[in-house]
Amino acid sequence: MTVFFPTSPRSRKRSLASDPAREAVQPFEFHATLTRLDDGLDTLHRSVELLRERTGRSADDRNLILFETALAEIGSNVLIYTGKHGTTGPPVEYALRLESDTATAFFTDHGPPIHNQEARAMPAPTSEAGRGLAIARKVLDELKYKRDGEVNTWRLVKRL
Amino acid sequence: MSLDVQSRQTDAGVTVLAPSGRLDVTGAPSLKDAVSEAVKNGQPRLVIDLEGVSFVDSTGLGSVIAALKMVRSSKGDLRLAAPNQQVRVVLELTTLDRVFPYFATVEEALTGF
Repeated sequence: MTVFFPTSPRSRKRSLASDPAREAVQPFEFHATLTRLDDGLDTLHRSVELLRERTGRSADDRNLILFETALAEIGSNVLIYTGKHGTTGPPVEYALRLESDTATAFFTDHGPPIHNQEARAMPAPTSEAGRGLAIARKVLDELKYKRDGEVNTWRLVKRL
Repeated sequence: MSLDVQSRQTDAGVTVLAPSGRLDVTGAPSLKDAVSEAVKNGQPRLVIDLEGVSFVDSTGLGSVIAALKMVRSSKGDLRLAAPNQQVRVVLELTTLDRVFPYFATVEEALTGF
């Protein structure tokens, strides 16, 4: 089951002193529990769509495109390696926040540890696999992975 | 979201595949199947019409690279048409825009193919 609850705008009232630029960086928060690959990816894209609506950015906004691309790469890796294809086990926790024009996403999962994630370079153009982490690292301002006991945490940061 | 792939053949014998949805880890197998079917039927000149593709990930890209290898091994070729901004950005990021010169429309991709 997936639950999400983006935060409400502070106020929808406009005043003469209101600044459209400030409205564009209102805090945004989204949480979901991901249990299946297909539904989980739908939820990740839906969260970015809500962020796009909140910030008033177009579908062609490059920074948001880059963020969504990295989010889908890390999210699909997490969902695949956690083995959540309809099996039982702790679900993946996902959160997305926007503060001061910086989007930050978090994944927490109980999958196997990821090794050498920092060392994965972009493969040759003819390679059919192995680009996911390299793409994410290339487009994000920060990509952090931590293994703590049996838990993996990912933190993805992109200034929009 | 599953990927639906429509297929048609032009009078010149080029197969146009039109996937619709996300070409990602869940959708890529559908495109691979459609390409295999076209090549198996002796139609190795392919245009992939990306107009209906809302998003591509690295696995989706991998399926396009696999398609290119498949058609070239059958002495055919592959062209991409009508990618949206996200697809163009990912092609550029991965330098695959050098492997896949893409066309703005299917009609342009079919010209001289």
